[in-house]
Amino acid sequence: MSRIFRPTLAIVGTLAAIFAPPWVTILCMGVLAFRYPAWEVLFIGLLTDFLWIPPGLLHPLPIFTIAAFILVWGLEPLRKEFLFS
Amino acid sequence: MNLFRRNNTLQGRWPTRTGRKSIFIATLIVCALIVFDALSGGSVRSLVRHAGATMWSAGVSVGNSIFGSGLFTTRRALIAENASLSEQIAQFQEQAAAYRVLQAENNTLRDMLNVAEIQRGQNRDAGITAPIISSFRASPYGTFQIGAGTADSVAPGNLVLSAENFVIGRIETADANSSLAREIFAPNISTDAVLHGVGVAVLGQGGGNARTDVPRQTDVSLGDPVVSAPLGSRAIGVVGKVTEDSGDAYKRVQIYLPVNLSVLQFVYVVKK
Repeated sequence: MSRIFRPTLAIVGTLAAIFAPPWVTILCMGVLAFRYPAWEVLFIGLLTDFLWIPPGLLHPLPIFTIAAFILVWGLEPLRKEFLFS
Repeated sequence: MNLFRRNNTLQGRWPTRTGRKSIFIATLIVCALIVFDALSGGSVRSLVRHAGATMWSAGVSVGNSIFGSGLFTTRRALIAENASLSEQIAQFQEQAAAYRVLQAENNTLRDMLNVAEIQRGQNRDAGITAPIISSFRASPYGTFQIGAGTADSVAPGNLVLSAENFVIGRIETADANSSLAREIFAPNISTDAVLHGVGVAVLGQGGGNARTDVPRQTDVSLGDPVVSAPLGSRAIGVVGKVTEDSGDAYKRVQIYLPVNLSVLQFVYVVKK
């Protein structure tokens, strides 16, 4: 199941960064990070910010990269214990 | 109990070493990309945007081919669409007629008052038409890409206009053949404007919408234009809704851009 679900979510998240509203991207990132120790989330977040963020030193904040770090590393201790086995 | 054992062993608490190692390596790569992009003046971002624009164009072509072939249309849907389009055409004709009347009146008044046409006359010659090469709704920062860059003399600070001379956005960064523009009504972006002779700060809300507050005694009605002097005295939107609380000293005015951004294909880029 995870052999199909994880790459599918990663591809959908990547395409959503280009074509779909931001909530679709963040949803894919969230589901991926909750379910798997998914390194793809970091690249989807970075891709979204590189695509759309205007130049400037931390203004606006690269919220998708920050969200990706929080999702991937913040959920790391919780993932196995509380969310999905 | 099984739960005790599961939750109180290192194996139960932490994911496998492989998973953590992958995340760690990915984190290092992402950090390296961010640093390299910052040091190289945004070269990685430029590449990513170029790839994104190419994918967007390919996706739009595929979508048009699929839906243009009529694969997903039914007879009923076509009839409904036909009726809707006919109605739209009638509305557009009416609007165009009203627009021509107003334009003629405006020209007459300009001639009578001998007012120099400082914006349209000079800047239109200096501007160029550029295609939209990205989605308007995909950006969380209210940005979009256009298919003109430094090779076409586009520079940061240039204004992006609609066909009716409404300001849609401002160029933030320009690559060789494409540029990233930010919507005037991007979330939390404030723009100085004038509404009925009253100076206001219009706060963008994204999606072509914004809001502002005007003193209670100001006479504001639906459809009133909002003009911005810092943007060359061009219109940036029209009033869509006015809400007033009896105990409040201000009226809340909702402003919208009368341009359907999702179907916009070309824009006009002018120097400020």
